[in-house]
Amino acid sequence: MTYAYRAGFGLAAVAFALAGAAAGGAHAGTYDLAIGKTTIDVGSGPRPALSISGQLPGPVLRLKEGEDVTINVANRLDVDTSIHWHGLIVPYTQDGVPGISFPGIKPGETFTYRFTVKQSGTYWYHSHSGPQEQEGVYGPIVVEPKGREPFKFDRDYVVMLSDWTDEKPETVLSNLKKQSDYYNYSRRTLGTFLDDVSRKGLGATVRDRMDWGEMRMAPTDIADVTGYTFLVNGRSPAQNWTALFKPGERVRLRFINGSAMTYFDLRIPGLKMLVVQADGNNVQPVPVDELRIAVAETYDVIVRPGDDRAYSIIAESMDRTGMARATLAPRPGMAADVPALRPRPQLTMADMGGAHGGMDHGAMGSQGMAGMDHSSMPGMDHSRMTGMPAAATARSDYAPGSGLEPKAANGGKFLVYADLKAMKPWRDYRAPDREIELRLTGNMERYFWSINGRKYSEAEPIRLRYGERVRLKFVNETMMAHPMHLHGMWMQLDAGNGRFSPLKHVVSVAPGKTLTVDVPADAIGEWAFHCHLMYHMATGMFRKVIVEPRSAAVN
Amino acid sequence: MNDTLYVLRAALAGASLLALSTAAVAGAGHGTSAIGKPGKQADASRTVEIILQDNAFEPERVQVRPGETIRFVLKNKGELLHEFNLGTPKMHAAHQKEMAQMMEHGMLTPTGVNRQMMQMDHGKAGMPAMKHDDPNTVLVEPGKTKELTWTFPNSHDLEFACNIPGHYESGMVGKIKNVPAL
Repeated sequence: MTYAYRAGFGLAAVAFALAGAAAGGAHAGTYDLAIGKTTIDVGSGPRPALSISGQLPGPVLRLKEGEDVTINVANRLDVDTSIHWHGLIVPYTQDGVPGISFPGIKPGETFTYRFTVKQSGTYWYHSHSGPQEQEGVYGPIVVEPKGREPFKFDRDYVVMLSDWTDEKPETVLSNLKKQSDYYNYSRRTLGTFLDDVSRKGLGATVRDRMDWGEMRMAPTDIADVTGYTFLVNGRSPAQNWTALFKPGERVRLRFINGSAMTYFDLRIPGLKMLVVQADGNNVQPVPVDELRIAVAETYDVIVRPGDDRAYSIIAESMDRTGMARATLAPRPGMAADVPALRPRPQLTMADMGGAHGGMDHGAMGSQGMAGMDHSSMPGMDHSRMTGMPAAATARSDYAPGSGLEPKAANGGKFLVYADLKAMKPWRDYRAPDREIELRLTGNMERYFWSINGRKYSEAEPIRLRYGERVRLKFVNETMMAHPMHLHGMWMQLDAGNGRFSPLKHVVSVAPGKTLTVDVPADAIGEWAFHCHLMYHMATGMFRKVIVEPRSAAVN
Repeated sequence: MNDTLYVLRAALAGASLLALSTAAVAGAGHGTSAIGKPGKQADASRTVEIILQDNAFEPERVQVRPGETIRFVLKNKGELLHEFNLGTPKMHAAHQKEMAQMMEHGMLTPTGVNRQMMQMDHGKAGMPAMKHDDPNTVLVEPGKTKELTWTFPNSHDLEFACNIPGHYESGMVGKIKNVPAL
């Protein structure tokens, strides 16, 4: 049902295919994936990449709620690999994190995952080994629900956003400060990396400016890695991935942010988007003009294009250095206007609020104080307001006066976390049993990221008792937004919606902000918990969460 | 919720609210002949049962003859609060704004009607009372059944809709189809 139209040229095989065939009964399926090398061309010539079953992104895994799945993952690389089912609740041994769930998949081996799918919605899968996720080892998951969904649609498309760099990620990583937790993360040695680099002849790709000592990070920079090409279902903006519709149809777009490092601001000029799912879970439908999708999040929206014309799907990177672009059209070969990139935002003092010491305030951008949002000051000046902006500011995901606060390009509604309300209230909603504070810390100039000032290798695991409800309080003391991802369990995002707090697998914490989630600790085992910005995770912004059964010995 | 009331009191001196409230009370569809009028059960030529699901009507089309009176029996088999509202697409669009306001004030929740809030004397805050009591519409809470009897005009372009925020856009709307008289 979901076939993407590929416009024009393109050497890479980016057609979506149904993966595997159902074997056995109606509730059991077997799927085969193989991780190997490929070549892609996003416009700058053929480049080595990694792929799943020869495709980048990997094939859409179509599962059914309630299905007992068997997934064989073959490793055709000469380094370890793994696949993690992002957002799926599975037994921890099937969760795919080397060093926590299992030892990883050795070169030439096949690992068989077995689990029952206990949910429905849009999710994704990706390697949890080294930087393979950046190199192409990612793909979508679509789980069909048992019952009917609370919204109608005539067409259904996966729209997977990602970031592609021609630079070898090993080159980037090899320049990071060497830390032992890097080995825990990838189980590979730095020596092996450098051997690979020279064997593949990547001398030309090693550039002086990748020396992290000079790196870029002036305090006003927003994204760690620049020079990306942004892809939609593996196609560059020029390659223009296109989805077809008949005017008047309701079209479901399953947006997945499968990038390693990029937040996208998503809009379809001329169309309102009705947000119906976030991170795979139904939310009370909310119409918006634009939304920000953090790394690893998903949003399902319904649009209803009424005119017989093309519409552009625009996903600008948060730092405005580029965009991913696709088209919705009634016929192949059409394109709509592609607006110019909006101006690059500047961090303000509000964003640096949590980061102290050595900040050169003179380096602040031209916006400075003038750009601050004065309507958020205490003793609000209501005479300047129209509609309900006071409430809107109070519900903002950014610190008052933040330079990162997004605004809709057409002046309309920009989605905020407080707009996300679960469709069905959580039955066991209650006050948390205890609270754990997690300070998001780091040092941009030295490229060192951590939690509570400690990197993964130096820290104790976070221990939870099965059945308890734990409040996690993220306090962001850095100048970057961090998309925090907990494996194995849902985080109930507390944005003032009580019982209707939505279930999320990733929550983004803005600079200088505090964000709380309540976690029902209902999955025994050992789980990864980390910032989903790939290079942050690699340098230490990672913890193991252990959920232990209740025992008589525990007080 | 307190923040919301504060803004309503202070901002715009309730002017915009008054306009919306007036529309709700007078109602574009309140007894207007363009869309028909409330009917008497005794005059009903038939009963049509409509199931309210999350978020859809079953059935989605009802055929109506000119001047016919129909008794609608509305069963909410979902887990959320729903509305059955007879009107034109334009009326529904306006009513969606009103329903969004009622949600913000806490008069409606996703799963029910807050009767206390509905009865509240908003006169203190400089706002006229906003209620959901027009005859062309009924709110049905999860698990409940309500009735609405309506006499249709001779010709019309009517939909039955749920105007709870997001429901109409999700597809919770049906068509009243004109069929010729017998």
